[in-house]
Amino acid sequence: MSTAAVPLNRKDKSAVTLVEMCSVRLGQTLFGVPITHILEIVGSARPQPVPLAPPFVGGLVHYRGDVLTTVSLRQLLGLPPKDGPQDILVLESSGGCFGLLVDSVGEVLTVSSADHEPNPSILDQRRRTLFAGAYKLKDSLLVMLDPEQLEPMRLGAAQAA
Amino acid sequence: MDELTREFLIESQEGLDRMERCLTDLEERPQDAGLIGDIFRSVHTIKGTTGFLGFKRLEKLAHAGENLLGLLREGKLAANQQVITGLLQLLDGLRGILKTIEAENAEGTGEDAALIARLEELQLPAKAEAKHAVHARAGAATPPGAHAPLAKTPAPPAPAHVVGKNEPVEAVQGLAEAETDPARPRAQATAAESSLRVDVTLLNRMMNLVGELVLTRNQVLQATSADPNMTLLSRRLDMVTADLRESVMKARMQPVSNIFSKMPRIVRDLSQGLGRRVRLQVEGQDTELDKSLLEAIKDPLTHAVRNALDHGIEPPAEREAAGKDPEGTLKLRAVQEGSHVLIEVSDDGAGIAVERVRQKAIERGLITAERANQLVERELLQLIFLPGFSTAAAVTNVSGRGVGMDVVRTNVEKIGGKVELDSRAGKGTTLRLRIPLTLAIIPALIVRSVNQSFALPQGALSELVHVPPGQAATAIEWIENAPLYRLRGKLLPLVFLDRLLMPGVEHRVATERDNFIAVLDADGRRFGLVVDGLADPEEIVVKPLSSVLKTIGLYSGATVLGNADLALILDPGAIALKAGVTMRAEEEAARAADSEVEEEKKNLDYLLVEAAERQAAVPLGDVLRIEQIPLSRIEYIGYRPVLNFDGQLLPVEDSGGVLAAAQGNPDAQIIVVVCREGSRHVGIAVSHVLDVAAGGDLFEAGTAQRTGGVTLLKDRVTGVVDLGGVAPLPATEQAPAEWSQIAETVA
Repeated sequence: MSTAAVPLNRKDKSAVTLVEMCSVRLGQTLFGVPITHILEIVGSARPQPVPLAPPFVGGLVHYRGDVLTTVSLRQLLGLPPKDGPQDILVLESSGGCFGLLVDSVGEVLTVSSADHEPNPSILDQRRRTLFAGAYKLKDSLLVMLDPEQLEPMRLGAAQAA
Repeated sequence: MDELTREFLIESQEGLDRMERCLTDLEERPQDAGLIGDIFRSVHTIKGTTGFLGFKRLEKLAHAGENLLGLLREGKLAANQQVITGLLQLLDGLRGILKTIEAENAEGTGEDAALIARLEELQLPAKAEAKHAVHARAGAATPPGAHAPLAKTPAPPAPAHVVGKNEPVEAVQGLAEAETDPARPRAQATAAESSLRVDVTLLNRMMNLVGELVLTRNQVLQATSADPNMTLLSRRLDMVTADLRESVMKARMQPVSNIFSKMPRIVRDLSQGLGRRVRLQVEGQDTELDKSLLEAIKDPLTHAVRNALDHGIEPPAEREAAGKDPEGTLKLRAVQEGSHVLIEVSDDGAGIAVERVRQKAIERGLITAERANQLVERELLQLIFLPGFSTAAAVTNVSGRGVGMDVVRTNVEKIGGKVELDSRAGKGTTLRLRIPLTLAIIPALIVRSVNQSFALPQGALSELVHVPPGQAATAIEWIENAPLYRLRGKLLPLVFLDRLLMPGVEHRVATERDNFIAVLDADGRRFGLVVDGLADPEEIVVKPLSSVLKTIGLYSGATVLGNADLALILDPGAIALKAGVTMRAEEEAARAADSEVEEEKKNLDYLLVEAAERQAAVPLGDVLRIEQIPLSRIEYIGYRPVLNFDGQLLPVEDSGGVLAAAQGNPDAQIIVVVCREGSRHVGIAVSHVLDVAAGGDLFEAGTAQRTGGVTLLKDRVTGVVDLGGVAPLPATEQAPAEWSQIAETVA
């Protein structure tokens, strides 16, 4: 897990490596999640809301015999909730599996570490912890998400603090 | 750790467990050659394998033990108290080293010289009597093959001879042992071939998958119910799933002997330490229970046994003074009762000194003196389960039990079980643990609130109250902002589920539609949970929640319903806590006593039903649930109506002619009262359920004998349905002979 997370945060100049990213659309922004963290993509799901849960919890979904807690990326970024079904990335982190609710899942992009830039300093604190820099694509930016930071337990702890 | 070592650890552990059982038995039957042989083999196997694996320290200790056991086996030494104590120390020593190997993959550097010296010392008396040795060796040296035809007859239990007095008998014993010896490993080998060690995680995974299959089946059944082509297939799927579920659940079952077998040692050690004389009786060792439940009751049970010895059974002198056998009896009993396993710990000790309990409860401020004086004996006993009570160390020394009884109760209730206590001064105390057979799949009622489904475990549900539209405003009364409902004349605190779940939103009591009150009993806290709607009861598979949702505290898990919806499982105890439904200690004690009284009264309460315009009564205690179903769900075996419930066939009794009357009307709904009759369930078809009422006794004129089969309900003589008269489902089709007789009883 951590071995995969390292190249996200550190720019390795000596060797250019190619990384595969799953692109995710949310509002106007294109986000990327390393495919090594993705177990499965569940299309058009309607999570079951959990009353009294922390706001970032997007609800529960049934996934392969288990009940999976989902995290709403929209809520985390302070965007208004979206009506209708959303796609779910099932992510694996050190704390177990969880789902990430996004508007839609796009194609898998192969990006080069040479195009990676760290988080700009003008980002707010919240986003700086969630994002792991960005890749410069030809006509847009691919904002990297750090799956470890999106883990519900960690978000819960951060919120409590 | 390599596979070989792991295997060795598991096998040795089992061997030592067996040795422990045999040792405690040996204390009662010191001459039993079979027992000594068993113990010898356990130690011998360990010694043999350790040498091979290179565990020198273990080998040395096992060797010392083997020498001593060898003398016992040859009959040169009597299995007296000292020897058995020595062997138990050997057992502990071996266990200690095994534990170190398991943890560190090495046997550690501990010193066993003292123990080895002790074991050698115990061999001395035998060596002094060399002439017996010669004699016995002659017997043992006889080739076992010469006696092969005899090997099949088990050695008769040896009469209690004092070693050394009767040499010929000794020699014969040696022979008998040698004869049975070769036969035994053969029997064990066949047992080993037909069974298999399976990893518990694999079993858990299987259970999980079966749960998944149950859900999928539920969904398939719902989706295909309208398609006649699928009926046969889905019914088959239904049956196979039910069978598979049962088999996997069986695979997780373990006999209670797994924990009972630890008790003789505890009883032995404790009774010696406390100066008590105790005989342990164990019953129902083969009763089986899910592995996880077995683990969960291990500590409460040990606690109960300790309590019984510490505070229950008196010292021998005291017992003799009271005219009792100086040796006390501690009974452990396990028995399956329906979907529960009952585990009983009973002693014939002094019982609980109720007066001391009363005093102490007042001293500790758990109850007011005024209230305490009103409580009857049984109510006072319940005080022992109060959390504050247990910490009072002084009480436990003087009066009855008390150490951690609240912990025992909490642990047992955590797994959905119940604890009951019975005590009679001077006669003894009985503690009953009622444990459900399995955990993973529980019956639940599905309720609706805030436009979602929630599952309420049936275990906590005591009854349901329907508040029809328009009546909510009058039925629900308020003291300031506390809602209350008058349930049979008593005020029941209410909790609105929607208000609890959505605290920020303005709520008002919806009077224009139905409201339902689920009356819950969570650890003695009774309250009514107000929900918007009720759906069918379902067998749900409990799925764990992520820790971030567990911290909310209201939900004990989640489940997938038959319609593929997810539902959160509500935790009644947590709801009571969150809503502030608490009880002062005295109320709780009174309540607990109340519920016991209710238990007794249950048989006198009846469900008043109407079938074909005649009224009949069903004992309320036997009613499990009431189902409203479409007539089309009733199927027939021959001409007997049956109902298929998730693969379980329920015979439906229709002596009232309800089914016949509705025949021909495809949309007809009928009501089936599902009742418990002994270990089976039966259904009774009725047209209406009228009321619940207390029945009065009727006496035959002249004889003043209580009449059976009828009761006085609401001042009317009403027939009681004879559940026992419902004929069991035939294995092969046959007409029930008692048919007409049942019709009479219902009428």
